[in-house]
Amino acid sequence: MGREIIISPIGAIPSSVTVPVRKAVARNFGLPARITPLLQNIDFAYSPARQQHHSTTILDRLAELSPSPGCRILAVTYRDLYIPILTHVYGEAQLKGTVAIISLYRLAESEPYFHVDESGLTVQRSIKEALHELGHTLGLTHCRDAGCLMHYCRRMSDVDHKSECFCRYCRVWLRDALEEERLSFSSR
Amino acid sequence: MNPDTRILIIDDEPILRESLQAWLERDGYSIEAVSSGEEGLERVKETSFDLLFLDLKLEDIDGIQVLSRVKEDDPDTAVVMITAYGSVPSAVEAMKQGAEDYLLKPFEPEELSLLIEKILSHKARERENIYLREQQRERSRFESLLGQSEAMREIFNFIEDIAPSESTVLITGETGTGKELAAKAIHATSRRCEGPFVAVNCGSLPEQLMESELFGYEQGAFTDAKQSKKGRLELANTGTLFLDEVGEIGPRMQIDLLRVLEERSFTRLGGTRPIKTDFRVIAASNRDLARAVREGGFREDLYYRLNVISLEMPPLRKRKEDIPLLAEHFLARFRQETKKEVEHISREALDLMMLYDWPGNVRELENAVERAVVVGKSKNIQPEDLPISSDPEICGQGSLQDMEKAHIQHVLKQNNWNITRSAHVLGIDRSTLYKKLRRYNLR
Repeated sequence: MGREIIISPIGAIPSSVTVPVRKAVARNFGLPARITPLLQNIDFAYSPARQQHHSTTILDRLAELSPSPGCRILAVTYRDLYIPILTHVYGEAQLKGTVAIISLYRLAESEPYFHVDESGLTVQRSIKEALHELGHTLGLTHCRDAGCLMHYCRRMSDVDHKSECFCRYCRVWLRDALEEERLSFSSR
Repeated sequence: MNPDTRILIIDDEPILRESLQAWLERDGYSIEAVSSGEEGLERVKETSFDLLFLDLKLEDIDGIQVLSRVKEDDPDTAVVMITAYGSVPSAVEAMKQGAEDYLLKPFEPEELSLLIEKILSHKARERENIYLREQQRERSRFESLLGQSEAMREIFNFIEDIAPSESTVLITGETGTGKELAAKAIHATSRRCEGPFVAVNCGSLPEQLMESELFGYEQGAFTDAKQSKKGRLELANTGTLFLDEVGEIGPRMQIDLLRVLEERSFTRLGGTRPIKTDFRVIAASNRDLARAVREGGFREDLYYRLNVISLEMPPLRKRKEDIPLLAEHFLARFRQETKKEVEHISREALDLMMLYDWPGNVRELENAVERAVVVGKSKNIQPEDLPISSDPEICGQGSLQDMEKAHIQHVLKQNNWNITRSAHVLGIDRSTLYKKLRRYNLR
């Protein structure tokens, strides 16, 4: 099996979100990307006290489900995610790892959050968040350029402000990381 | 990316510790996490951190006690207390004891990032002030590229050979061996000698200041940019750009520099117009750059771009026959500067100089002669006038702290108060040295 990125919807994520995400991922990382559900039930990560799902626990499970070593997984859920120290996260990724997850819960254009609207704005935000989290799996850290995909956004308006591109620095690091990964994969 | 920013997390709940660590790692900080107050205090003693996240309720020691011991040891370490609802009064008490702030867990992501940004930007301003003071001291003291030894004759011949070429030169060598002098000599012998020689010390500049120094900026590029300013790249046009301590530049700047070297054009910060520039680059480093490349701290493509011609400056201990000539040269200069009638260097003092290894190289020798001229009571420099000893046991007297202060002061002086070089000689990182400077009130 070669290197690829799997977009793994958890639950009924509309294709109006997953397909544009898949295309953007394939274009930006230069790798084949396909949509394959790997995990349907994430109740194991649910915290009744917080009424949210613990994203790190989901990432650990996803890593176990990876079909091949060259595979990178991006899960998409509409559940609200958290990590213990923070009230919520839009997504999480293993830094220099193989798995990432994004939540559409807070990316939707308007409340109530549970309704995933399929407007252009939600799709745009999902693409940005997906590329951002996958960037972390390739070792990219947060970038101070507010227009760069790797910029850490405090508010949703900041997410909307940033472009759908990596800045020139992050592009170089991304290219380096992909090349390094390609070399290490081909030498196996 | 902020790999130079060191953060320590002290929390006994593994899940909180790990989740905070993973979150902050995505910001590119260098993070350590420990599970007890005792472990935390140990780590703070061993190394310096810019910021501590400290849980108020630890199992072994109360968080407030850890805070007061950290502040006692190093008042400049910023501490943020982590607390739960119900413990807010204790957190407020912690702020009275010197904590910078407190966070109620779980925190809002934006609250955490704003707080870190506030604390670190304050620290960056402090660093910038130290840099500017250092720059004031970094006056030209250049004449020490002297020598009749075989090693130096080879260097002079090599400089003559490579000067007419336009190729990039990478000068390596220990601190104080005269790398900048060699760069100036190449410039002075080259076809560009009528153009400017523009030096940039990449070591102690914070990354953002380095960007504006090199590239210049347009009016309004950032809050303080009231008017446009040319950067060093523009100022070096038709001349030579000397990048000292090039091994210290950050990852973003490495990419920028590579691009400038490849394209010979750049834009000012906040500008859109490409500016063509024509300069020769000479870079210098006392770090083993090939090793830094292997370890991932320096870009390989930039390394090969810089290392077209390499020149290694020999340490003074490998050309000891040059010591009398250099010492006499410095004596003449300082005699003139101080108007003191010091005529010669005694046989015994010269013997001592020949026995000593001069880890700070020519710069250390220069400083030693300067001190001897200033403090000497006779017409001849005597061994006791020199701040050196061939016996490693004769180091000093007093408490360990007194000795540490004296040693740091000595190394700083040897290195012209260059923080990066001094930290390197002392075997500590720059932030630790800055802290020690403040602690011992050394300025």
